[in-house]
Amino acid sequence: MYEVLEDFAQENGLRQTSTSLKLLIGLSSILLCVSSPGPVAPLLVAASMSAVILALAKIPARFYARILLIPVSFAVMSIAVVLFITADGAVLIEVPGLPLTITTGGANLAVLLLARVFGGMCSLYFIALTTPMTEVFDILRRLRVPTVFIDLAMLTYRFIFILIEEAGQIYRSQVMRLGYGRFRESVQSFGMLSGALFLRTWESGEALVLAMDARCYDGRLGIPGDARPVSFLALAAALLYIGAVFGISLCTGGLVLV
Amino acid sequence: MHIMEGFLPSPWWQVWFLVSLPFIIIGLYQINKLVQEKREALPLLAVAGAFVFVLSSLKLPSFNGSCSHPTGTGLGAVLFGPCIAAVLGLIVLVFQAVFLAHGGITTLGANVFSMGIAGPAVAYLIYKVGTRAGANTYATVFVAAALADLATYVVTSVQLALAFPGTAGFLGAFSAFAAIFAVTQVPLAIIEGAVIMLVFKYIVQLKPEILTRLNLLSESTIKKLQEAAA
Repeated sequence: MYEVLEDFAQENGLRQTSTSLKLLIGLSSILLCVSSPGPVAPLLVAASMSAVILALAKIPARFYARILLIPVSFAVMSIAVVLFITADGAVLIEVPGLPLTITTGGANLAVLLLARVFGGMCSLYFIALTTPMTEVFDILRRLRVPTVFIDLAMLTYRFIFILIEEAGQIYRSQVMRLGYGRFRESVQSFGMLSGALFLRTWESGEALVLAMDARCYDGRLGIPGDARPVSFLALAAALLYIGAVFGISLCTGGLVLV
Repeated sequence: MHIMEGFLPSPWWQVWFLVSLPFIIIGLYQINKLVQEKREALPLLAVAGAFVFVLSSLKLPSFNGSCSHPTGTGLGAVLFGPCIAAVLGLIVLVFQAVFLAHGGITTLGANVFSMGIAGPAVAYLIYKVGTRAGANTYATVFVAAALADLATYVVTSVQLALAFPGTAGFLGAFSAFAAIFAVTQVPLAIIEGAVIMLVFKYIVQLKPEILTRLNLLSESTIKKLQEAAA
């Protein structure tokens, strides 16, 4: 089973920091990475975010290194395609026997993409590892996202953890009974797992309806929000950081408006 | 396949957000109406969303060694219709980005379009056409789920090719992306079709009232299917 990043979000060094401040830093770093015209700013974001995650949020380095590998397969495949289809500038390498060439333009674009993805993923991990989802719901509510959407998201969130547990149990018992021995069997077992999971899900959903009705559910879930004040110093530091990265991204590649 | 954070450059990630937005708004409107009519709909939609999340976080058995996961949204579309499936897809994709690091925030619009809108819409259409034409229900579900999975990857290739046409132009880039994904995805789409078909079979055998209550199959069809399996 996957290790869910949310486990770390519940107990990390930055758990008590204001949620809106963390979201401000994380989201603006992502935007800066995506719109940066040169690879320097995204790499800077990646380095600073990783430093914050490891030093301030105290996420184990070994775990962090492992999750950094998750997007690699997609990155390698797509960046390879971009590398070969962009024929721009001088030819650097030619693959003998195949119509594949790597040019300077393609290589530059590939490096830029790699840096953006790396910076973006590190900022995303910063949000994922320091901010529990429950607190994001509170922010969404204050941003006046439709209630029905937030309620649906909260209920989905709750059920995800119950279902992951159940799926794990079914999977382990299937493995114990050699359910994944051959290819045919594994498709059969996986179908059985998904089917059983769906039916159990549905039943627990019906049970939840009963439980909520018994507690006078009227189509609205109330959760108390707790607002943590943002200290002036923290806000100033965050803005300074964002400004600095923005400045560097401007200096290293000119302004890109859209 | 989730496009990950930071991969889509500037005009394109905004474009895909705008393209996805109307579907989400229609979906929210439909959910609102559904919840006002039947309060029990909200928890059931939530468990369906959680099911899609868990299904897509499990690894499919695959024989070529590559690891992939089912998209699972096809089932949601067949059960609730494509616009509601789009809202479920949005929620699931946000959680996947934040819990599992699949996908990202800026690429959310593009991912919602490929996995939450295009795939489910294909599944829904095939299912509707198939049942109306009186085709075998299981075969219809198989084709719907497999093609929904493939449609997702075709749309992802279109999105990537539009963003990075290179010097080969859109068509050249599209065929390059599609070729690389098709090689890895066609076998997986077939497996996903088989798995969703098995799920459907279990529902028909063990809890057919779900399908009759959502007006998906009439009781006579279910009886026929159950007799055929027995």
